[in-house]
Amino acid sequence: MTAVDVPVMANGVPVTVGASLPPYTLAAVRPENMKLWAGFLRDPNPIHLDAQAVRAKGLGNKVINQGPANLAYLITMLQRAFPRAVLETLEVRYGGMVYGGDAVEATGTVRELSLGVCASRVICDVSLRADGRDGVIWGVAVLSLGHPTAAETRSAGSILG
Amino acid sequence: MSASELPPPPAVAGLSLSGTSTYVISADENRALCSTLEATPAADGSAHPVYFFIATQVGMGMTVAELCRVCDFDVEDGPMIASSTVTFSRPLMTQQGYRVTGEIVSLTRKRSRTFGVMDSLTYVLRLALSDGTPVLETSNVWMLPRRHLA
Repeated sequence: MTAVDVPVMANGVPVTVGASLPPYTLAAVRPENMKLWAGFLRDPNPIHLDAQAVRAKGLGNKVINQGPANLAYLITMLQRAFPRAVLETLEVRYGGMVYGGDAVEATGTVRELSLGVCASRVICDVSLRADGRDGVIWGVAVLSLGHPTAAETRSAGSILG
Repeated sequence: MSASELPPPPAVAGLSLSGTSTYVISADENRALCSTLEATPAADGSAHPVYFFIATQVGMGMTVAELCRVCDFDVEDGPMIASSTVTFSRPLMTQQGYRVTGEIVSLTRKRSRTFGVMDSLTYVLRLALSDGTPVLETSNVWMLPRRHLA
């Protein structure tokens, strides 16, 4: 039987069930970036561009970040935790809004890990909060991890001894 | 009016959302997108994976406003995205042309504590290389509040 080495995250922490992924944070979502996202998405919805339009709809007093931008924070968190991984599937639910100026934090936890000789697969629970509000987005991501480098293997050891 | 007495939603299941032109993830745009995330673009030319959403939405055969319109819903009434699922067959690359195919899966009407009545719109979109090689499949669910039916 071939020993399979446990992969590690970018911060050197071994990938084990229950391990927390390094959080991704932005100190403040910038309204000027929402204008860029309106271009990326070809979406001229004024609630992303004009606080008056948000007020007129009774949705608050600040411009509202695009949902895909919020999703991108989660994905970037995963990319930073697993730089050489390939995202295989992602399932998310959207439960809240992010406003201009909000601080956002994307977090994740390892739910399952399957180790293979050539590659390993990790399943993570992920979520995004904004200004302390939980449940902006939550879901599950499956990533295929590349074969660990020798240096990573040495730093993490082998869970199979 | 009970749920069974509500007027039915438009019969749109099966309606094609396939695009008619090729969508290309511009390397410059990918760089700009990554800058909004305070992230560095990948050196290997791969695009940020969030382009699964952008490429399919932009490349499908109608705008979100038009999609709402075929569901007899005014986009100004505030459609809300509820969930997204994506399965990748291969990474997205910049400067690569993609074709989008897809269709509406369902439009169902139900009572809602928050909105009185709402329709749940589910559609699936697929991204492929120009030779047909599959790249990803994604499905989105949107909630369309029908306050006037409450």
